[in-house]
Formats: sequence, structure tokens, C-alpha cells
Amino acid sequence: MSEIRLYDFELDENCYKVRLLLSVLAVPYRKMAVNMIPGGEHLEPPLLALNPRGSLPILLDGELVLSEAEPIMIYLARAYDAADKWLPSDANGLAMVAMWLQFASRDLHAAWRARRHAMFDASGDEQALHHAARRAFRLMDDHMTAREFDDAAWFVGTAPSLADLALFPAIALSRDFAVEHETYPALRRWMRRVRAIPGFITMPGIPDYY
Amino acid sequence: MQSAWYPIALAEGLERGTSVGTRLFGRELVVWRDAAGSSHVWEDRCPHRGMRLSFGFVRDNHIACLYHGWQYDASARCRYIPAHPDLAVPNSIRVATYASLERLGFVWAYGELDRADPEPLQFAERTVTPVRSLYVEATTAKVLDALASTIDRAVDNAASGTQCSRTASLVSLAISGDEILIAVQPLSEQETALHIVIAGPADVHRGASQKRISAWSEALRRKLETSTSQIRPGATS
Ligand SMILES: N[C@@H](CCC(=O)N[C@@H](CS)C(=O)NCC(=O)O)C(=O)O
Ligand code: FES
Repeated sequence: MSEIRLYDFELDENCYKVRLLLSVLAVPYRKMAVNMIPGGEHLEPPLLALNPRGSLPILLDGELVLSEAEPIMIYLARAYDAADKWLPSDANGLAMVAMWLQFASRDLHAAWRARRHAMFDASGDEQALHHAARRAFRLMDDHMTAREFDDAAWFVGTAPSLADLALFPAIALSRDFAVEHETYPALRRWMRRVRAIPGFITMPGIPDYY
Repeated sequence: MQSAWYPIALAEGLERGTSVGTRLFGRELVVWRDAAGSSHVWEDRCPHRGMRLSFGFVRDNHIACLYHGWQYDASARCRYIPAHPDLAVPNSIRVATYASLERLGFVWAYGELDRADPEPLQFAERTVTPVRSLYVEATTAKVLDALASTIDRAVDNAASGTQCSRTASLVSLAISGDEILIAVQPLSEQETALHIVIAGPADVHRGASQKRISAWSEALRRKLETSTSQIRPGATS
């Protein structure tokens, strides 16, 4: 079987989602470092040929070419997690994970843009982005607060799933755009649990001590 | 900030070996729990170069600064400087601290730095079941007004039994059969934290009661953040 290739930018939280999953699944792959900022390599012909949307990450596995973190995560879980631990097979569990994956790509997009704005001077209305990011974090904190009343430790079900891995980067990196963890106590406790998942890895901006 | 006791966290939510930054009237505090289980409340500023200690990390019974790794023990004295491992660190290098204690399921801090013998906290200890901390974008006065409109009684040093005073930091309410205690933390001019517990043991109140009261508090937060006018027209306290 040919080697999996991940087109990756080290400082991008969407790429980190996929690196994190590959690490907890212990799936070997070749990292193709892309100079996204400042180089803009993802917008040049070779990568646009793989992904016309001009986004990272991009995953190649044999004939398959996939872009966007959440679909890549779904593929990797189905293809390489024989026990269906990370993507449940029952209707409820699958739908709940799908809902949080969409939350990660849509509602948390404001957090991604706020971080781009703060770190790389990307355009954007800082106040509006912060407001939207904080609103999404609060929804997550309310959810995990309610989960704790049921003695549940994870976003969905009784074990960590793709939902936890897809939601973790935005809040763990929120200090990059000056949103503290002060007002998200249930997320602080959940982040500690995520950090203890076997195979957990960090990225720049997420300290590895703890 | 008045010299008084203020709630700053839910005790159970603060896990051993962790720290978190918080605020009182805009001042930055770090609250942390050591490996032995004791909680500490300090000014959130490293004496070296002023880094926030809540960005650092807790190891055993000390807290280490994220910048240059200076380590402070539970008495807030600096005991180790990684750049000078053989140095006997002078006792004068210490973090400014707030007197603190845990009661009724809350961590309380006295609002005056390095105050050695603050007056005692008036509230007696009771068995409680923690619910949650709720962070609201509203002034503390507005929060207390809203609580007063559903008030049973306010328990604070000055309260006389049936009304809620503006300086109350602890409010007691009856909500569908449960007695709940709400400790109110003024974070800044515009933000307030409500730390919420149920009076009574956890084996009775955990689960359904916690969920009901948490949902009630989210509705209160919505009301506080959307209404621009007085919650209770004509209310004075
Ligand atoms: N202050 C923390 C470490 C720093 C920190 O908060 N790290 C973030 C990631 S940048 C985190 O995951 N926090 C989870 C938490 O505070 O529980 C500690 O006392 O160990
Ligand atoms: S600022 Fe804390 S060790 Fe230097």
C-alpha cells in the first residue's frame, strides 16, 4: 500500500486536527510541509491541482484525494479504526459526532479567522470575530457542563471521538487571539482529559508541559 | 475594591495540580490547587518580569512561570530559578497573595493584597452540591437586581433577612424545591460570575437537580444579556 501523504502547515489548527487523529490512531504518514504563510504555496498550481479550493489540509491515500479537516477525519476513522471507536456506527452516535464536526468547521470558523487576524494580520472585523468565537466556546462549555451532570467526560458517548479532536484546537489556541480560558471551566477540565488521550500531540501555541 | 471577602471559584471545579486566571474588579488573580489539595489565590503576576502566573503550570506543590521557569512554593516564595540552579533564592522574592479559604463549596479571597489577618468570613459552613459557574456580561448591580426579583433572602454581613443588598456576595434562592446558594463575583465593570451550589448533600441533589438549576441559570443569563432596561421596573435595593 502506498504511503499516506498529508499536505500540512504546522501553524494551522485544521492541519493539526488531522495530525492529532493520525497520531492517536498510530497511522504512519508522510508530512508534506507547505509554506502557507508567508509563502502562499497552497494557492500555487501544484496544490490547486489537488485542491481547487486552495485550503489545507489535503490528504492523499492511494487514488483518494481529500480536502478539509473534518471529511479527512471521517475517512481516516472509517478506514483505519477497525473498532469504530472514533466514529461511532450507531445512528445516534454518528449523527451527534457529525453535528459537532459541523460545529467545528462552521461555528468555530470565527475562532480560526480571529487567530489568523491576530497572528498573521489577516483581514476581519476583530470585535465581531471575537464575539462569534466566544459564543461558540460558551455553547461548548454549556454542553460539557451538562455532560458532567451525567458523569460523561466527552462531547459524545462514553469515550473520546472525532468530535473531541475536532473541537479541541480552537479553544486550546484561543490565547493566540487573547481569549482566556477563565470563563470556560468545563472546557478546562475537558481539555485536560483530551491531553491525556494516548497518542495526544501538541502544536506550537499549545504547551506540552501540563 | 472594598476590603471584603469575594467568591472567585467553585471549589470542586478547581482540580488538583491546576491553575486558572480570574478577576476581581478588573484585577488579575491566579487561583491554583496544589498536589496536596490546598488552594491558593495570588496576584497573577510573576515578580521576575510580570508574566501572568496563570499561563504557567502547577507541579506538585509549586507553580512555575511560563517565561523563565521561576518556581514559587505554596507560601508564594520563589524557591528555584532555572538560570541559576545553585542560587539560594532570597526570601524577599515572593508573589503578592490574597488571603483565601474554601467554604460552602466556593473559594473565597479577601480583596486586599497581603492582608495578614482579615476579619472572618461570616457565613457558616454547610454541606452543598456544586452546580456550575456562570459568566455573564452584565454589571454586578444588574445581576443582584435580577436575583432580588426572585429572592428568598440574602445572606450577607449586613442583610436583615428578606432583602438583597447591593454589596451582598451570597444570595439564597428557592427554586422548585431546592435551596440554592449563589456567590456573586464582580469580574469587571461589565462582567459578573455567579458560582452556584445546591444546599444539601450530593447523593440527594446530583443529576436531575443540577441540570434543572443549570438550565435555570442559562435562562437567567439570556435575560440579563438581552434586556437593556431594568429587570424589575422600579426596583430599588
Ligand atoms: N495553566 C495551566 C497550563 C496552561 C494552560 O492553560 N494550557 C492550556 C492550553 S494553551 C490548556 O490546555 N488549558 C486547560 C486547562 O486550563 O485546564 C496549568 O496550570 O497547568
Ligand atoms: S517572568 Fe516569570 S520567570 Fe521570568
